[in-house]
Amino acid sequence: MKKKRESVVSASSLCKEYQIGDIKIEALKDLNLDVVEGEFVSIYGPSGAGKTTLLNIVGGLDKPTNGKIIVFGHQLDTYDENFLATFRSAYIGFVFQSYNLISTLTAIENVAFPTELAGLPKGQAKERSNNLLQLVGLSHRANHFPAQLSGGEQQRVAFARALANNPPLLLVDEPTGNLDTETGLEIVRILKKMKEEGKTVIVATHDERIMQLANRTMHLQNGRIVAEK
Amino acid sequence: MSESFPIKDLARRKFQTSLAIIGLTICTATTVFLTIFGDSLGLGVSFLTSGKLTVGFSRISSVFITFVSLLNILAGALITYFLVSLTMSERVRDIGVMKASGCLTELAFSYFATELFIIVFIGCLAGTVVGIFTYYASANVLNSLGFSIAQKPLNTWSVLYVFLIFFVVSHIFGILPVVKAIRIKPAEALSPTQSLGTTFEAGKAVPSRLGFTLKIAFRALVRRKSATRQAIICLAAILTLTTVTIVGGVVANQTTQSYVERAIGRDVIVISHPDIFEQYVDFLSQFIEVKQMEPIDFLDPKYFIISDSLISNLSRISGVVKAEPRIILDTTIYEVQVLIIDPEDPTQKMLVGDNRFGEALVLGIQPGQVINDWLILGKPLSEGELDSAIIGDSLASAIFSDALLQKLRLFGNETFQIVGVCLDPLNKGNVVYVPLRTLASLVPRSGYNIVFLRVDPANRSQVLAKIEETISGTELEFFELDEILGKHLDFVNLIWSSVMLLPLSSLITAVLCLLSYVMLSIAGQQRDFGIMRALGAKPKTILKIVFTEALLVLLISGAIGIPTGLFITFTFLIPDPVISQFSLLAVSGWLVLTLGFLSLSSLYPGVKAVKKTIAHIMSQTY
Repeated sequence: MKKKRESVVSASSLCKEYQIGDIKIEALKDLNLDVVEGEFVSIYGPSGAGKTTLLNIVGGLDKPTNGKIIVFGHQLDTYDENFLATFRSAYIGFVFQSYNLISTLTAIENVAFPTELAGLPKGQAKERSNNLLQLVGLSHRANHFPAQLSGGEQQRVAFARALANNPPLLLVDEPTGNLDTETGLEIVRILKKMKEEGKTVIVATHDERIMQLANRTMHLQNGRIVAEK
Repeated sequence: MSESFPIKDLARRKFQTSLAIIGLTICTATTVFLTIFGDSLGLGVSFLTSGKLTVGFSRISSVFITFVSLLNILAGALITYFLVSLTMSERVRDIGVMKASGCLTELAFSYFATELFIIVFIGCLAGTVVGIFTYYASANVLNSLGFSIAQKPLNTWSVLYVFLIFFVVSHIFGILPVVKAIRIKPAEALSPTQSLGTTFEAGKAVPSRLGFTLKIAFRALVRRKSATRQAIICLAAILTLTTVTIVGGVVANQTTQSYVERAIGRDVIVISHPDIFEQYVDFLSQFIEVKQMEPIDFLDPKYFIISDSLISNLSRISGVVKAEPRIILDTTIYEVQVLIIDPEDPTQKMLVGDNRFGEALVLGIQPGQVINDWLILGKPLSEGELDSAIIGDSLASAIFSDALLQKLRLFGNETFQIVGVCLDPLNKGNVVYVPLRTLASLVPRSGYNIVFLRVDPANRSQVLAKIEETISGTELEFFELDEILGKHLDFVNLIWSSVMLLPLSSLITAVLCLLSYVMLSIAGQQRDFGIMRALGAKPKTILKIVFTEALLVLLISGAIGIPTGLFITFTFLIPDPVISQFSLLAVSGWLVLTLGFLSLSSLYPGVKAVKKTIAHIMSQTY
């Protein structure tokens, strides 16, 4: 008999509204989502559908206007910024669409950054960062600053950084959106490896190659999940 | 774009516009205040002697005012340059867009030059108004505290000069970054490397072994090196000004108080006829307030009732440290011309002086027993030199060309070689001290009309009782000078306390400068901070980075500005400074407080920045 997998993300009746001047924008409308341990979920939808907003709320970067979001048993909308920072450090690995490396840190320092926040001893942090850079094939670029790396290289460093604290949940936002096909393939390979390692992954993407890796694919439109397969 | 673009643009950028205007307002106001306040008290830069203080005291304050004013002008110009530079570095992209859309360089320049004109004009005008208002407020406060500060009609010309100097200098400094920014090519202006005046060079020279916070802060400074350099120069100039005003305020206060205390004497009891004492006090009080005096005949026999035997009895009282009889009188002093060897041509002789004369207070003193310890340029009187004199600084300035080379004439034909010029508040420095023996031989009286006793403060009440007993049965009375001394010290303290408003104004200017830099820095790193927080950095981690960055800028600026300020103060501003443990502690305390306050103020934009949600930051930056 198969062991019942633990719930990682449980979102119910999520709403998110933004006010821009006189205009109210509903980014998420009454959205429900459940993701269990080891699941690879891909979300696709047009620009402005609410994909990034959903990932931000699941990662504790933003709070819903209404509804409840529980991640690893923590109801995120009830916590303060300090707790959420510690929570993200321990549970979440982020990969953003536009790489988002810290410009004043080298590749290896970027990877080591989350481990430093988590209080890992320097020696261990360095060893782990080196291993992760090796995993993404960038050990030779360890001491380069983001401005000296190509888009694909920056995205791979971002993946290495997302894995630095070995988080149980990876949130990945359009990882191949800014990359050419060839470079994108590198990213697909890394994601496949994540899946094989049993990580829970939620990825917002339009890339067919990534969607094929998913256990579940959701179509998000106007803040609602309109289809799921 | 219309002709109203500059005004609309300034209104849209309220915070930065306000910072620039406030910075300039403070610098202008401080200088205007100093100019009028100094002039009114007789501290004026033109060495006016019609005020209350003696020429020597006036000179100390005048040099101080001149230096502080010059530093203020520099600080005002630098802060304008710095803030305009910061604004322009943020506008480079706009300039690129304007040029790319076909806007002529001259037109774009005229927009930004108009903006600068508006900022500088409003800043200087507001500063002038605030400076005048502060002067009247201070004068009223001083008057209400009992110091009669005559409010002269406003010296419109000096105020106008200050306004014009600030307006022109700030304009020149402010236009430089506008010219630099406007010359940029559209393609360069639109390049991301130009945004916020930063370069994306990595700052390889920065060691990576530093702690995490220090590493990021250090690299951010290096990355934004142009703005960092400007901030450091600007802050160093302001901290120089702050140091000069703080040290000037504390050390000059203590030094001038010491001059006054040494000249008047502490624990001094005066014995004389009450009329003489009243005159003596009035002559002393000329230093702190203008008083109409009823003249008396000092040589009236009724005042010469102090004999040698009385002096001898007073000296024998236990607790009397010194007893110094004096003769005091007022008379006309004449300048005596002297022939000296021409220093430029030793074969020739030259005449020094004129035949000027003036009224002064003349005192016969016993060189070995004198109770005063004046600050003397030259040398004090000595026992054997019966035809020597020391004179007060105001007298030396008023009727002598080169007092230390000249002689003075009294009572017709009696000449005295001037050996020293002293700083003395008595009769506003219009005094002459000659040997008592000589003066006694020149006046047709025997005995003395005043005696000064220095007493041991430990046995004061017993000593006073003994003195009272000794002089009982005569018309003599005894008076304590400490109360008068206290008033003089309070007055000096009050003047310098008013000057202590200056560090406050330079502190505000420094805060504005630092805030602007930190805001620029945060704007440039906002995305990085957003990423850090998304990865688990707590708000306090971001605050630590911002604080460290501000602290580094501040420490470097302080390392330049504070020693420069100390050098200027002790080299040019305060002759023979009195530096006690207290003043060292006070100066250090003030400087530490200043740096502490400045670094804490840098947290404000940091706190504002971390209040923004991460999602908001990430959506706002690219």
